Amino acid sequence: MRRQCRRGPAGILRRRARWGWAFVFPTLVILGLFSVYPVANAFYLSFFQKHLLSTVPPKFIGFGNYLYLFRSPAFWNSLTATAIFAGGAFAMLVSLSLLLAVLISTRKRFQRFLQLAFFSPAIVSTVVAAAIWLLIFEPRGIANQLVNALAGTPGVDHKWLVNPGMLQVSTMIVYVWKYVGYFTIIFVAGIGTIPQSLYEAARVDGASAWQMFSRITFPLLKPTTLLVSVVAMIQCLRTFSTQYLFVQAGSPRGPIDVITLNVYYTAVRNFQIGRASALSIILFAIMLFLSWLQFRVARSEEVSYL
Amino acid sequence: MIRRRGTARGRSPLATVLVWLILGVMLLYILAPLVFMVTASLMPAIEVTRIPYRWIPKSFYWQNFWQAIRGNDGRFYFVRNMVNSLIVALAVTVSTVILSTVAGYGLAKFEFRGRRAVMLLIIGTMMIPFQVIMVPLYLVATRLGMQDSYAGLIVPFLVNAFGVFLMRQYLLTFPSEILDAARIDGASEVQILRRIVFPSSWPAMATLAILTFRAQWDNLIWPLLIAQSREMQTIPQYITLFTEEKYTDEGAMMAAAVLASLPIVLLFIGLSRYFVGGARLFSAHKG
Repeated sequence: MRRQCRRGPAGILRRRARWGWAFVFPTLVILGLFSVYPVANAFYLSFFQKHLLSTVPPKFIGFGNYLYLFRSPAFWNSLTATAIFAGGAFAMLVSLSLLLAVLISTRKRFQRFLQLAFFSPAIVSTVVAAAIWLLIFEPRGIANQLVNALAGTPGVDHKWLVNPGMLQVSTMIVYVWKYVGYFTIIFVAGIGTIPQSLYEAARVDGASAWQMFSRITFPLLKPTTLLVSVVAMIQCLRTFSTQYLFVQAGSPRGPIDVITLNVYYTAVRNFQIGRASALSIILFAIMLFLSWLQFRVARSEEVSYL
Repeated sequence: MIRRRGTARGRSPLATVLVWLILGVMLLYILAPLVFMVTASLMPAIEVTRIPYRWIPKSFYWQNFWQAIRGNDGRFYFVRNMVNSLIVALAVTVSTVILSTVAGYGLAKFEFRGRRAVMLLIIGTMMIPFQVIMVPLYLVATRLGMQDSYAGLIVPFLVNAFGVFLMRQYLLTFPSEILDAARIDGASEVQILRRIVFPSSWPAMATLAILTFRAQWDNLIWPLLIAQSREMQTIPQYITLFTEEKYTDEGAMMAAAVLASLPIVLLFIGLSRYFVGGARLFSAHKG
């Protein structure tokens, strides 16, 4: 300590800077090796033909993998399956969690209980969630029992795990079930930051509940809505376990062959590393584009709290 | 919690009924599958698919749990896979929390050349989804000889960019005067880190620990790639095997699901506010 003081403030600063680097360095090495390098490598590999098990060095084929994908019906099917799943699950997640958050916020009591109850599926793992719903969607399962009881059609099997359209809906139901509470909590926190005086003033002016929602809550919640949209969209595009388990349990792969599942099958079952990398890069590009789009749309109308 | 007392006042009874109707239907949707998991785990397989489903089991069929642990091949891989999951999740959690705090502290409280670049790199890395890097990561891990080993399951997750970002945000608000006072008193930088920074950032560390543990407990896609021998598989893979064999025993499958959820549920009961805090963090960032 004393020696440094003699060296003056510049010496201390230099010494401090070294400590800063020392603290950051281990993390940088790990992130570099296991995040940054693999991304660069994925990009690089997407221009090569590489078989996982062969010892033949990877062969440069330019845009060959991408061209192959754009010409293959399986790729377009994958893209459609991803769009349907992500679009559907995203719309349900955002609208339901907003609705729930608004309703929970109007309650005087049970707020904490309701939040925890809706959050609870988020604790069990995705695999467990998919396993539970596999049994619910079985021909003799609760899903059929409930629908038949409501529709008065005893004994009908709605083929939740077999019919392509139903299968897509089923995976969305599982996903929304698991994550809706998570986004509800974010929305409830966002609603909590809106000044209560605005509602008081609106009530004095005789505003209806709907007007208060559409003129106060919804516009002022925009930063939270943007955040939830971006996180939910990326989350939906990353889905893997639900689809994987359903296919393992015997469902047809086509309707729910989302890109992540396709990457897994292409790399691990078909050993096509280059092609799988190209698929990953396309997925990454889609995610970046959608995030950018959402920020742009949101930025066009900035929010102020008056 | 949230004070919206005003809005509920003066509502018509009809509105209240409508609100509770919607909340009730949603509660049913959310809670019924969890109740189903628990009740089905206590029933023989024939009872699980009985029409109508009996929500209260007539008797407790504990054999399911024995079957779930024993496995259909009778080789007790459940125990091994459970231990694997615990080892991996704990190791990843401890390492992530420590490294994130140290790096977050370095970024929040030290001036050094390249700090902005490091920060940009961290934020950029946060946006990389695992699914994009898993194939090259698999190549890296196999080149390092990490297949079917704890190293392969743990090392890629030793630290993550989100954790660093989180701890940095938290430590930005920590008063620098305290750190300077300690330096004047002759404390070394490592001592400051251990005696001051770690003890005073435990709320954020606890939240990060929960998030990390939960994410690892849920991890299926990476073990599918890297751990193919049954000895090195983790609990999500064990459950997956049960679904492939599901027609043999639905009750045992749900028992396995209950057992696999037990550690995380216990954690949730003890630390629910950190779980919820984890979700809140996002909104806190936006401020």
